Amino acid sequence: MRGRALAVTWLVAGWLVTGLLVGCERDPAGEPRAGFAGLGTDAGGFTPVAPEAALRFPEDHGPHPGTRLEWWYLTANLRDAEGAPLGIQWTLFRRALRPPTAPAAGAWAADQLWMAHVAVSRGADHRVAERFARGAGQGGADEARQAGVIADPFRAWLDDWRLESRVEAGTGDALDRLEVSAEAGRGEAAFGYRLTLDAQGPLVLHGKPAFGEAAAGAGGPIYLSQPFYRVTGTVTLGGERLSVSGRAWLDREWGNQLMAPWHHGWDWFSLHLAGGRKLMVYRLRGEAATDTTLFGSWIAADGETRALDGEALSLTPLATRSVAGRELPLRWRLTLPEQGLDLEVSARHPNRWMSTSVPYWEGAVTVRDRDDGAARGEGYLEMTGY
Amino acid sequence: MSPLGVALATLLSHYRRHPGQLAMLLLGLWVAGALWSGVQAINASARDSYARAEALFDADLDRLTPGDGRPLDRRDFVTLRRAGLPVSPILEGEVTTASGERLTLIGIDPLTLPGDSAFASPGADGGLEAFLAPPWRTRLAPETLAALGQARRAAPGATPALAGGQRLPPLAPTPALPPNTLVMDIAAAARLLERGDGLSRLVVPADTLATAPPGYRLVRAEQRLAPGELTASFHLSLTAMALLALIVGLFIVQAALGLALEQRLGLLRTLRALGVPGRTLVGLLAGELVLLGLAGALAGIASGVGLASALLPDVAATLSSLYGAEVGRTLRLPWHYWLGGLGVVLGGLLLAGSGVLWRAARLPVLGLGQAQAWRAGFQRQLRRQALGGAASALAALGLWAWLAVRPPGEGLLAAFGLVAALLLAGALWLPPLLAAALDGLGRRMHRRPLLQWALADLQLQLPRLALAMMALLIALSANLGVGSMVGGFRLTFLDWLDQRLVADLYLRPPPARLDEIDAWLAERPEVAERLATAGGETTLLAIGDAETPRQSVALFGITPGDAVRPGWPLKATLAGREAAWRELAGGAAFVNEQLAIARGIAPGDRLTLAAPGGDERLLVVAVYPDYGNPRGEVLLATPQLRRRFQAPPGSLGIVLADGAAAKPLAAALRSRFALDATALRDQRQVKRLATGIFERTFAITRALNALTLAVAALALLATLLAQARERRRRLAPLWALGVPRGRLVRVQLAQLGAAALATGLLALPLGLAVSACLVDTINVAAFGWRLPLHVFPGEMLLTLATALGAALLAAALPSLTLWRTPPRALLAEEAP
Repeated sequence: MRGRALAVTWLVAGWLVTGLLVGCERDPAGEPRAGFAGLGTDAGGFTPVAPEAALRFPEDHGPHPGTRLEWWYLTANLRDAEGAPLGIQWTLFRRALRPPTAPAAGAWAADQLWMAHVAVSRGADHRVAERFARGAGQGGADEARQAGVIADPFRAWLDDWRLESRVEAGTGDALDRLEVSAEAGRGEAAFGYRLTLDAQGPLVLHGKPAFGEAAAGAGGPIYLSQPFYRVTGTVTLGGERLSVSGRAWLDREWGNQLMAPWHHGWDWFSLHLAGGRKLMVYRLRGEAATDTTLFGSWIAADGETRALDGEALSLTPLATRSVAGRELPLRWRLTLPEQGLDLEVSARHPNRWMSTSVPYWEGAVTVRDRDDGAARGEGYLEMTGY
Repeated sequence: MSPLGVALATLLSHYRRHPGQLAMLLLGLWVAGALWSGVQAINASARDSYARAEALFDADLDRLTPGDGRPLDRRDFVTLRRAGLPVSPILEGEVTTASGERLTLIGIDPLTLPGDSAFASPGADGGLEAFLAPPWRTRLAPETLAALGQARRAAPGATPALAGGQRLPPLAPTPALPPNTLVMDIAAAARLLERGDGLSRLVVPADTLATAPPGYRLVRAEQRLAPGELTASFHLSLTAMALLALIVGLFIVQAALGLALEQRLGLLRTLRALGVPGRTLVGLLAGELVLLGLAGALAGIASGVGLASALLPDVAATLSSLYGAEVGRTLRLPWHYWLGGLGVVLGGLLLAGSGVLWRAARLPVLGLGQAQAWRAGFQRQLRRQALGGAASALAALGLWAWLAVRPPGEGLLAAFGLVAALLLAGALWLPPLLAAALDGLGRRMHRRPLLQWALADLQLQLPRLALAMMALLIALSANLGVGSMVGGFRLTFLDWLDQRLVADLYLRPPPARLDEIDAWLAERPEVAERLATAGGETTLLAIGDAETPRQSVALFGITPGDAVRPGWPLKATLAGREAAWRELAGGAAFVNEQLAIARGIAPGDRLTLAAPGGDERLLVVAVYPDYGNPRGEVLLATPQLRRRFQAPPGSLGIVLADGAAAKPLAAALRSRFALDATALRDQRQVKRLATGIFERTFAITRALNALTLAVAALALLATLLAQARERRRRLAPLWALGVPRGRLVRVQLAQLGAAALATGLLALPLGLAVSACLVDTINVAAFGWRLPLHVFPGEMLLTLATALGAALLAAALPSLTLWRTPPRALLAEEAP
């Protein structure tokens, strides 16, 4: 439910193209609140999301054009041959302009919009690229399109930015082995990567926070992760080609309403902890403390998942810094008493601002023990709506 | 009232006594200001249109075209995108509105279109989402609404119907777009144009790609000509004409001012004697100038806008037919237009008035206004004018020599300079020539005292008449020159149309049905010959062995049959007409004059052109005239063009057998193949269309010319009216000596008529020289074609008649006044 959906509202993307970067937080006065980037708006006319019990793979690795929003979201904490940390991001968002109906009128007709973000960061260097494409929920061979996702064999792409399954047919889940590649920029500013991802554990299904459709007991978005990737490959940055290895986390989410209208942003953590354990923490921020929803998942090394709520978790910003003209909390205290964890999560570098059509902060974090300062892991943090 | 105020009021009181002079002054300023600012308004509006066209999406984007000339479609786009190339699709076509106007329709993909474009204008409702999703949006400039029959206020959201019955997506007026252009999502455009997943072109951000991907050609943005560059020469011509009008208008002003000063010499002397310092007096006169200038210039600029609105549709038609550039038909004026117009008119006025101020400053307080004294001064002035004229003539000679060694099609500014120098030399030499002629004639008229008096009197009038006559000379010469050019062009063009339009019927069937129709026609006994054409686009890569800057050129295919060959005009051939036609059928090429001049191509050169199966090398065997075409064109035999460049078929000309009628065949074609009105046209219709375009093209030229001539006639009238009273003073003694009034009137008319006739005679060679300049240099540089120089005796006679008519008309009013003057009034005149 990371409504990372940034993208998502291509209404907003529209403003990008029209040259009017309307920050989502700058809702016109008097307009009813609609969450960050319109993600909290009512989603009339779209197909209700099927319950978790109905999940089927590989079909559900593919798109769900009847729902309003969907994404394939990959972040990776990598190190080069010298051990220096770097991070990458590869994201493909789908948004339905309207519920797909009969086959679209003509080959160019669009009822779906695709948006992709690619980022490579190392130290102060943070490279970001963004692309868009039109799509149709029905009709038309998907391979002949600029962007799309095919469930079997699994392929997700926008232009030459690709995320593809390398699993041989019938030998396991399609997402167990992936190849991701993207290139952007030109000359000295060129950056990109080609990475192989090997899953060391199973897919994970997260719980749902209590608002909207989910609260009413009717569907609600599906949120899956594959947090167990081992990564090897090459990254291009600053004119260098670097051999890299590390860990990656893939998120899959689709649904019609991803946050409540009163939420105006979120803070999301995906952490690789010592011993192969993973922690996902997600905080939807409202105006008042009571409007804030906090939930997460504790994932054991074998993939066994325990849903966490605001009782089990606490999350407190410790210090803010000014980034891109906004005050962002880049140091956090995260406690999970039942696991005996009292952690300090801090950004590796403040300059991870994504100056995309819908701007947000997305970057690598380190995890330390609050008591002794010992390294406990690393991960990614995303902050929107600031 | 302060002494200064009293002095100013005293000076201005002159105009209360002579309201005619004030009217003339203001009229001159008004006319000069109106013509100048009107043309500037047209230029400013056109520039605004060009700027918007250049800001449109792909003006500064590189283009990818298929290397083999095949049509592009969505697969090209997807394949290139998935190979990582940031291409964006553009679909362009034409739609016809319910009222029959043709509008350019551009379909874009805003998701991949690079950079800030005209699309990026705020204010459109619903933003991207509404643009992308049915029912989509039609973006268009507010001035395009009229073509769709929409009122401005009701337009947003309206869905007007097109000629074919389809409806446009809801309208969203967007001021940044160029006129006559509709922009919408590519899905909506593909539906309206029925183009499926076809594409017009793929664009990429400038300089993104170092080389074209395999199978494609890269056309860099800077290789394409922007409409502003193409049309610069046209606007330069307009400006030159406006400048001419301004100068002629200022002649009026100068004449009126000079007179007003002269008549106030006594008043000025009185004011000086009363203690007003000379410097103050000059300052007051300057203040008077500024006051008059402001009034006249403001009125002129205001009417200039009206004039521009009236002329703009013709200008737009001209630009569209000559250059294919779209210009809005409503004015859009930037703020600096107003200031600029005011500045130019006021500046011109001060320039015209500076002589008067100079004279006023050096005014001797005593001993004023002796006609003979003026005459002595005038002799000096004549010598200076003769010298100035000689200098101008030398400058003209120099420019001519320089232009003669330049390659054709260059030196537009120098050519205008040459015309200006010629006109100036003629104008400066006019008063000395007239004076010399009068002197010479006067010596021979000893036996005829009245005639001798008339000549001497004309010599005395000459200082005042000179300026008006100079204005008349310039206007007449320009009129003759431009008239001859347009007339010659018209003759050539009509001739050329006759030669090119040899078929009786022109058929433009849907491509899919062409073969079927062609087969049907082949069996009809009344069809003598079928002339298939084809059209295409390619890139000129090299001339001979030398690589040239790449230029996109049009390809045109004709059937070199019996009907076409005899009449088709050729300007140059490699080895005679017969050989040229033989070689054309065998695969050689003709190029049009525009391309030949622009790139220095001559028969015998080999061109390398981009073609589907690899580059094609073609031998040029002839150059042909191609009036009215803004582009370079390569002509091939249709079968050759279709085979080697895979060009789609174009229209089909049908030559009827002797005695066969076009109407029954047309009716049979229409009913059998269900052709609509635009698919089948007869020759007369095509000719009418082409001639109509031609006439509109030069309507603006004729209009400006006529206006300039009218201004010159006004200048003469102004001068004569202004001195009418004083003339009476001169004529009174003659009457007292016994010359009847009727005779005096005739003498006066003869004086002016002779002067005007002399001016007209001088205008003839000058006009021809101007015409030669226009035809030989300016047209070649501006349009890319050269016309034969035509001399029209009728036009020359008309020029003389105009000169005479203008002079007599101008003299008529003062003469009539004299005729009606009671003898008592003549008696009462003081001796001069």
